[in-house]
Amino acid sequence: MKALLLGNAAVARGAWEASVAMGCGYPGTPSTEILEHLGRYKDVLVQWAPNEKVAYEVAMGVSLSGHRALVTMKHVGLNVAADPFFSSSYMGVNGGLVVACADDPGMHSSQDEQDNRHFARAARVLMVEPADAAEARWMTAAAFSLSERFDTPVLLRLTTRVCHQTALVELGDPPTADAANAAGHGYRKNIAKNVLLPGHARQRRLVVEERMAAATAFSNESDLWNPVHRGTSSVGVVTSGVAFGYVREVLPDASVLKIGLSYPIPIARIRSFAATVERLYVMEELDPFLEDAIRAAGIPVEGSSLRPFCGELNLTLVEAAFRKASEHGCTNASLDAESVATPLEASPDAATPGASPDAATRGASADAATRGASPEAASPAASPLGGTEVPPRPPTLCPGCGHRGMFSLFREMKLRVMGDIGCYTLGALKPLAAMDACLCMGASIGMAHGLTRFASPEDSSRTVAVIGDSTFFHSGIPSLLDMIVHGSNATVVILDNRWTAMTGAQPNPGTGLDVNGKPAPRFDIPGVCRALGVRRVREIDPYQLEECRQALEEELAAPEVSVIVSYKPCLLGTPRPAIAPAVTIDLDACDRCGACIRVGCMALHEHDGYPTVDSALCTGCQICLQVCEPHAISVNGFTGQTSSSRTSTEVPT
Amino acid sequence: MSILNVLFCGVGGQGILTSSRILALAAMHAGLDVKMSEVHGMAQRGGNVDTHVRIGESVPSSLIAKETAHYLVAFEKLEALRNIDFLRPDGLAIVCPLEIPPLALSLKRNHSYLPHIDDILKRTAPRLEWVDAEAIARQMGDRRLVNVILLGALARHLDISTEHWKQAIRDRFSPAAQAACLDAFEKGATHDHMCTPA
Ligand code: SF4
Ligand code: SF4
Repeated sequence: MKALLLGNAAVARGAWEASVAMGCGYPGTPSTEILEHLGRYKDVLVQWAPNEKVAYEVAMGVSLSGHRALVTMKHVGLNVAADPFFSSSYMGVNGGLVVACADDPGMHSSQDEQDNRHFARAARVLMVEPADAAEARWMTAAAFSLSERFDTPVLLRLTTRVCHQTALVELGDPPTADAANAAGHGYRKNIAKNVLLPGHARQRRLVVEERMAAATAFSNESDLWNPVHRGTSSVGVVTSGVAFGYVREVLPDASVLKIGLSYPIPIARIRSFAATVERLYVMEELDPFLEDAIRAAGIPVEGSSLRPFCGELNLTLVEAAFRKASEHGCTNASLDAESVATPLEASPDAATPGASPDAATRGASADAATRGASPEAASPAASPLGGTEVPPRPPTLCPGCGHRGMFSLFREMKLRVMGDIGCYTLGALKPLAAMDACLCMGASIGMAHGLTRFASPEDSSRTVAVIGDSTFFHSGIPSLLDMIVHGSNATVVILDNRWTAMTGAQPNPGTGLDVNGKPAPRFDIPGVCRALGVRRVREIDPYQLEECRQALEEELAAPEVSVIVSYKPCLLGTPRPAIAPAVTIDLDACDRCGACIRVGCMALHEHDGYPTVDSALCTGCQICLQVCEPHAISVNGFTGQTSSSRTSTEVPT
Repeated sequence: MSILNVLFCGVGGQGILTSSRILALAAMHAGLDVKMSEVHGMAQRGGNVDTHVRIGESVPSSLIAKETAHYLVAFEKLEALRNIDFLRPDGLAIVCPLEIPPLALSLKRNHSYLPHIDDILKRTAPRLEWVDAEAIARQMGDRRLVNVILLGALARHLDISTEHWKQAIRDRFSPAAQAACLDAFEKGATHDHMCTPA
């Protein structure tokens, strides 16, 4: 039976079919939906961990217990989990362990573009790479068997276009009770294997090498994982992941060796494939991972010289790559420019299935085929817009988001802001533009500590670390300890919105709910900061700008560590926070200073040089109202004119 | 290898993902292969969103190349323009004449909504159909119906039977919402499209 599934849902389905006992991870685009979908299968235990390292260690415990575990994260999450990941290669598994790790080529939602295939080689574990959602299902299921067979965690390397592809997926059978029991074979005590003292680890090091030799032999032999699609032309392409689909479309006649089990790299198989073709290419996204190994084995191959290293591949780039290959002295007929079969070619008669005869007969002109086929056609110069610049529409904080209040203050007070990762990283964008640095999860506190150590007293007293609740739990707490122990006088602002918001509002230790919405113990941020030894902890409401300003000034001046917890629940959380009436703007009172526009709210537009409010979007947070000096903005007649601190009776909520 | 390419675009929260999923489901019910590429994560916070849907006997990859889309279904005018170069030279743009201004950075005029956008669209789209799905949805009393209305407008150009569309809509919506959605789809499929925006 086939179903239309998101790639991430297909991973969850595969894990379920393989009788996985538990899924855990930390949310991160593009991997997040795997656990959300896995949670829908009643018989699987699913948990969000505070960070990837914890998730990985929990999964190792599940594996030790003799059950199968799936651990999920985005590519940079594996950096956090690298410590247990590398050592788990030595320890091996009891129940199968699959590490679903999603790279983000093109950095749609990430701070870097690392190619995590290198992790498999560095840690010497097996790696499988689905090319689409259908493969994501069966490869996930099969990876559990590989894990147990070769006694190793298996890296399931995904990329954005696999995770967020929706496609027809052939479903496997649901797990039977028998299979589930067979998968769980119970805890086995084995000190020499599981206690990685140097003496044991030295023995395990040899076991790892034996395992990789056996896995290499398997990979070389496997028609299932590394199939050859024999074509009519004499060109051969080695490819993996999403690049496979592009290669099939651009060169339907070429022979293709598709690598699904991409570590250990099946070099012998590639060598014999190379012997059957006249010219060998490799097409892969990001680093020349396969290519370097193929070259090192002395097999002539071309690939990375034909394509960009950075960013995602697509049909246009892959087509351009093979076109370049044909121009650069490739004499092979099947790569002549004309014979590169391209989806850009119009074929009006091969009526597009699904399209009406009317749509099909219209076809495209010959001109269209050539225009479409040249990569230059996509360049701005040749674009039909002829120089019209389409204004960008970057993501922004939601109307009513509490982060907006703090960032408009940071900007106004000209603070040095060490930022972190979450929705609030958007505070770095115009018009707020109030962030000086953002490195990785949890870095803000450590960076502020280091920066203030070598800043002048004036600069030091204008520096804050800004971190979200989920990021604080993830990796901010040890940094705060470091500040306390070393007598820092820095100020930390924790933006507590109770959810892991950027990835779509997953619960975290501060939410008080588990993944299924059931009540769970709630981690109290101010209480924990006090318990750690911070004497100056205060809580503020980021909708009350004056109070916030005062709190910031006082804590920045204090000669010790202080923590300000800015509390406002995320508008995407459950239950949805109540919305207040929309503000209105009195254009006669407005002096067109633009202060309201500079809070960067989607509900405020410019129209004929004046601000206007979209009352359907406005949540009545009144942040713009408080920055409006001529008091032109009001709600129910209230303009903030009489008092800067409103009472709740004045503001219906 | 003949593949139908449909690109949906608009602003996060407009129901673009739902539309593309329904098209994909309808194609599945019609016995065709389908792959689509979606946007999740950071791009959804009020940013521009696009989804690519590719349908055929066999579809190897899920991203549409520039100048190869048969149809562009735009939920907003600026987004139509942003993606217009995905259309084939004989492609059709189905555009909802809605203007959602991008985030303003100041009160200076240069950031206001692109002036003359209708003319630019008329000039740059090979073929253009305005479908005021917003107005129809408002008449029907639920602005969220915009996505199904636009699907109806797309459906009359495609060779997918009404039964398969209806099945797809029933797959995607709760029984309570189905009647209104089927009605909205029908309205989109039968409306008189405008040659100029209202
Ligand atoms: S999702 Fe929540 S935290 Fe993120 S911008 Fe919107 S309101 Fe703010
Ligand atoms: S328009 Fe003003 S009051 Fe309304 S959501 Fe935006 S900032 Fe808040």
